[in-house]
Amino acid sequence: MEQIGTKKKKKKMSRPVLYVILIIVAIIQIFPLVWLLDFSLASSSEMFTNGLLILPKKIQWGNYVKAFVDGNFLWYLKNSILINGLAVLLVIIVSIMSAFACRRMRWKLSTFVKTLLLMGLMIPIHATLLPNYKIYSQLGMTDTIWALLIPYVAFSLPQGLFLMTSFMESIPVELEEAAVMDGCGIYRILFQIITPMLKSSIATVAIMTFLNNWNEFMMASTYLSSDKWKTLPFSVLEFTGEYSSNYAVQFAVMALTAAPAVIVYILLNKHITKGVAMGAVKG
Amino acid sequence: MKYEEKIVSVLLTAAMATTMLAGCGGNSNTKSDANANSDAAEGSTTADAGSSDAGSSDGEEITLKVFSNLPDRKNGQGLVEQTIIQEYMNENPNVKIEVEALDEEAYKTKFKAYSMEGLPDIVSIWGQPAFLDEVLDAGVLAELNEDDYADYGFVSGSLEGFKKDGKLYGLPRNTDVAGFYYNQKMFEDNGWKVPTTSDELLELAGTIQNAGLFQNGYDSLDYATAQNLFINGQAAMYYMGSWDASMALNEDIEQDIRMNIRVFTMPVVDGGKGTATDIAAWNGGGYGVSESSEHKDEAIKFLNYMYQPDKLSKYGWQNGVGMSAQDQTAYMTGDETELQMQFVDAVNNATSVSGTPINDCGPSAFKTSIESEIQSVSNGSMSVDDFLAAIGSACQ
Repeated sequence: MEQIGTKKKKKKMSRPVLYVILIIVAIIQIFPLVWLLDFSLASSSEMFTNGLLILPKKIQWGNYVKAFVDGNFLWYLKNSILINGLAVLLVIIVSIMSAFACRRMRWKLSTFVKTLLLMGLMIPIHATLLPNYKIYSQLGMTDTIWALLIPYVAFSLPQGLFLMTSFMESIPVELEEAAVMDGCGIYRILFQIITPMLKSSIATVAIMTFLNNWNEFMMASTYLSSDKWKTLPFSVLEFTGEYSSNYAVQFAVMALTAAPAVIVYILLNKHITKGVAMGAVKG
Repeated sequence: MKYEEKIVSVLLTAAMATTMLAGCGGNSNTKSDANANSDAAEGSTTADAGSSDAGSSDGEEITLKVFSNLPDRKNGQGLVEQTIIQEYMNENPNVKIEVEALDEEAYKTKFKAYSMEGLPDIVSIWGQPAFLDEVLDAGVLAELNEDDYADYGFVSGSLEGFKKDGKLYGLPRNTDVAGFYYNQKMFEDNGWKVPTTSDELLELAGTIQNAGLFQNGYDSLDYATAQNLFINGQAAMYYMGSWDASMALNEDIEQDIRMNIRVFTMPVVDGGKGTATDIAAWNGGGYGVSESSEHKDEAIKFLNYMYQPDKLSKYGWQNGVGMSAQDQTAYMTGDETELQMQFVDAVNNATSVSGTPINDCGPSAFKTSIESEIQSVSNGSMSVDDFLAAIGSACQ
């Protein structure tokens, strides 16, 4: 529905105005990244000058070398990719299955279970920080991959479920009925009929889960203590002193940390537009 | 039903592929493990080699965990700490020390988490009621024997902040002095004089503001920005603690500015009771030992090792990270920057020392409250009377 609305508006608006607005928005969006790259190539003493951007006297590639070597970057990157990848995968699988169960299957407590899961949206992360630590500690799970994976999945699941259920509503029930007539089992309906049609919402959920957890630091710093499973935000910390920090290298680390997130966004963003277009035709 | 099997196998393959990818990732970066930081945290292979050494106690394998608030292990105070840890491990091959470091807020959050389930063996602490009272009430820190430290050269009174009911629970690392840093060259060029009274200070501030060497917006700048305005020559004065004295050694700062940084302490109020040698100074950060530590004796041994006068004090002084809480006169090299000497003189000539700043003297809620009230009164959004009333209610 929404897509049709914007299409109509687009036609009314004259093109140049639209382009000007889009260019302004694009500049606002992209500027922080340009700024980040710019600062990551300067030296610490050049920062805090008056200009918005700085022209480094000498381009400091050494910042990136330091980030890789001293910042333990590759190790943290591997952990981040592994933990985030698994979290995204789990969130998608669980949210599709539970959305289907709560929306399309008829059982007594379906709405109650859905409400219960969605209530997770209202729980602030910080409120669970210390209680979870205590639980993990009792179970001997601190400093393991589970200490991060479980809360990452748990906190992204309500959002995922919310999106999946609303997308699933737009899929006509007749499709499933036809599938049943043709002899489909329930898993086949779910994974072969429904899931392909949820592509756009899967991409959305994947992006949201990924971006949410990619920069997460509070839980990671509380639940982990050795280097084994530490994620990328810890890399920035390696350059934080008690009273002064090596900002230039921190910028380099942040640029490197932001890169995968930007790449994932660009990759999946295409699917979103595709999915939206498909949805428009179908609707 | 056949189809279900297919799906399961697809999922399994996917899961396996993920694991394999992860495996590749792990292999490709074993190199990065070689740096000192992960060395300290990695498995105990290094300690295995020479455990027969008679270095300490009975040669039993011991792993001590240090929880530190100094995440940067290659500069400043963090480097000093790491150097001492390495030395200790070299001298005591059976002891392995693992460091976990987080910065301020993350550190305090995790400290709370740890206090529920047992702290690491050695922890960074602050000798201020705002932090320490709650910790000591929880009884998670081990008591230290004050007599052990009689010849460690602690500055008199510096242990007080770490005591409760006359018992000692931690040792201070630094002496912090608050002062006005100023750019001497800028002062000379403009004919400004170091103020001796608070009225002169206010007048000077006005002059500096007119000259455009003043920050805009009192409460919109954070620490780093303020510092950078000063070290880039865009501000003439900068009020901060002695820990920033290492500015004079920082090669990143232009020499013209670096060599001209000087300091003066808070001038006297005309007609007030104070004298110029009453200074704002206190002993902030330090270390304590966990009450629940499995190797409490070993942890205390390491703590004492760190505080041997030729460790923390000496290395700290050499790295210009500020003054320790111990007598450092023995380690003066004669190459100290004038800035360092000014701080030393300020402390040595002090007729009275303020002790812990008031905002750190109450529980943490009091700290939050008083700090926001101070901000309101200083930026003029609150009258002095309202401020005093608000402080009064915060005290309750």
